[in-house]
Amino acid sequence: MSASIRPISASRASRFVVLAASSLLTAALFLSVAPGTLGALTTEKTTARSNQSNGNAVIGGQPTRVTWEGRVADNEQVKALSLNLPKGSRTAGDDTVNVTVLDGLARLNVEARVVLTDERVAITFAQPVPSGMLLRIEMHDFSLPAKAGDYEMGGSYTDGAGATYDLAAPPNPIRVTGLTTVEAIINWLDRQGWVKAWNSVPFLRIFLNPQMAVAAIPTLFIGWLRSCGLVLVGFPLAIPIGLGVSFLRMAKARWIRFVSGIFVNVIRGTPLFLQIYVVFFGLPALGIRVPEYLLGILVLAVNSSAYLAEIFRAGIQSIPRGQMEAARSLGMTTPTAMFFVIIPQTVRRVIPTATSEFILLYKDTALLAAVGVMEMMMFGKSLVANTGNMTPYIIAACYYLVVTMPLARVISSFERKLAVSEGGA
Amino acid sequence: MRKVLLLALVAVVVAGAVIASGCAQTPKDATAPTDTSTPGSTEETPQFTTLESGKLIVASDCDYPPFIAMEGEQPTGFEYELLQAIGKEMGLTIEYLSPQNFDTILAGVDQGTKMDIGVSSFTITPERTELVDFCDPYFDSNQACVAMKDSGYSAAKDVDGKKVGSQSGTTGSEWVKENLPNATLVEYTQTSDALAALQAGKIEAAFFDEPVAAEQVKKTYTDATIIEAIPTGEQYGFAVSKKNPGLTAAVNNALKAVVENGSYNEIFQKYFDFEPTMGK
Repeated sequence: MSASIRPISASRASRFVVLAASSLLTAALFLSVAPGTLGALTTEKTTARSNQSNGNAVIGGQPTRVTWEGRVADNEQVKALSLNLPKGSRTAGDDTVNVTVLDGLARLNVEARVVLTDERVAITFAQPVPSGMLLRIEMHDFSLPAKAGDYEMGGSYTDGAGATYDLAAPPNPIRVTGLTTVEAIINWLDRQGWVKAWNSVPFLRIFLNPQMAVAAIPTLFIGWLRSCGLVLVGFPLAIPIGLGVSFLRMAKARWIRFVSGIFVNVIRGTPLFLQIYVVFFGLPALGIRVPEYLLGILVLAVNSSAYLAEIFRAGIQSIPRGQMEAARSLGMTTPTAMFFVIIPQTVRRVIPTATSEFILLYKDTALLAAVGVMEMMMFGKSLVANTGNMTPYIIAACYYLVVTMPLARVISSFERKLAVSEGGA
Repeated sequence: MRKVLLLALVAVVVAGAVIASGCAQTPKDATAPTDTSTPGSTEETPQFTTLESGKLIVASDCDYPPFIAMEGEQPTGFEYELLQAIGKEMGLTIEYLSPQNFDTILAGVDQGTKMDIGVSSFTITPERTELVDFCDPYFDSNQACVAMKDSGYSAAKDVDGKKVGSQSGTTGSEWVKENLPNATLVEYTQTSDALAALQAGKIEAAFFDEPVAAEQVKKTYTDATIIEAIPTGEQYGFAVSKKNPGLTAAVNNALKAVVENGSYNEIFQKYFDFEPTMGK
């Protein structure tokens, strides 16, 4: 893209203006002045809205919104503006262009005539845009070229004196990505008759939209892995803490029982959601900085440990007292008897309830979305927010069920076995 | 395994059906047209229906001062008072739903079964216009980048590549995605959550509408500041279901009347210390 400034035409301008402009061009060429520094209009940026269903990329060949911004220099005016669109762009007509003129933060009402083709957008202002104004051109339903690459938009403008100059492209081009597999599948679905029929039913369109499902499945898979990570680290951490607390709950010293009782009752007696808020906004206020994901694991682990403590305590206390007495009479110390006689018998009895607790904790990872931990619910929320479609939540529900349903079966089979063995004993 | 998958599928459909039936409760007076023609008015009043006759049910996230905020159970703010004036003009009682999640309001308006109108500082954008109809603009707004006073940042581009926050589904989110491609964006349900996260040091900067940012850093989050006001010139509009064009037209008439009789300006002056661009 040429960075030089040269006159293109000089309608209704005197020979002198052309001469002046040509000498300007010569000066610009020789001094290799930075783009636009001599001009009445400087491009500030060109950007495009992301049109990827499950990401932030700008995909070529798909409708998006392209924004161009430029500023009118001091003591200058701009009468008209023309931007060259990247070769291969597809546009959707003059009324897809929004022209905004801003004086600082104040929006000005301007009249402008817009002509949009696939090659360029030409804007002529009824009144010249005064100096210092920010000029924004937004074009929606705009498909950038399908080929991946960086695209620039140069052009030309007419200043207050009626002379036309080249407009240098902005420093940052628009980065366009090629069609992803997901987008290709969505495009294919868009064209299918049965998809159109399916989506014509509001319930199916909103909750079971095929295109949205395709977009959500890969994104939510990453979220699912993160949710699993939270609980797969959090739950094993909760087990030793819970076991420790259960011992404290059965301690001989009354005050230890009292303190551990407070811990268990406070944690079990308040919503996990509230605990998350207190920890996530409270700890940093004390100047303690812990990475969010780690903090999420810790909150889940501590919360779950209180429930596990009660499960373990009930399990240990359900073992007949005679077992401990018999072990002690064989010469075992109390800890030895606890670890080698009582706890092994407890494990079998607590597995079903502890697994239920695991399921609960896994589902509760969704609460962390409220404080910005990137887990499955958060991924689902941002997809729903971007599209207004509920299908990502349904897909998320499937991902939760993939874990919880088999586990529920495991529990019931365990319980059956337990009933048989205990009944037989 | 196949059995499990089948069960999962059944569960999904059942869950979906339950959610849908929960959302699709049809209000009794859904079809009863509300006659709002005021005696003596010469202008033709567009015919429209509301979910409940005599009421305009409003959905808002109620966490966007000075536009809308909750004082206990009572909504207050510029939008609330403007709607009261519009309601008076239309002969309707304004009824706010309990605070809704911002990112679900437009979908709710589109379904048209729970709310008549979405009023939550919605910027009119072509993308949103595909889903709902917007009434005429009632406020000109911009974006702002908010950071802590001691952060050392001086412009929005300084936080490109950092962790930043916004409210889910807003034009602030869109601005970050489009203009700060290297930033990690965390989208919160409410702006107050984003501001709390900013104070807690979880994010380096937060992006939302400039008038709200100005109010929040002045009144509540005084250790934060606007490091850059980003001129976007966006305009707010009330969102109405596409199935109810009569209501859009009626609200537009009422808004025009409220601007013309001066109550718009009166309410505006109560909340902002600059001149409105409307009604000039």
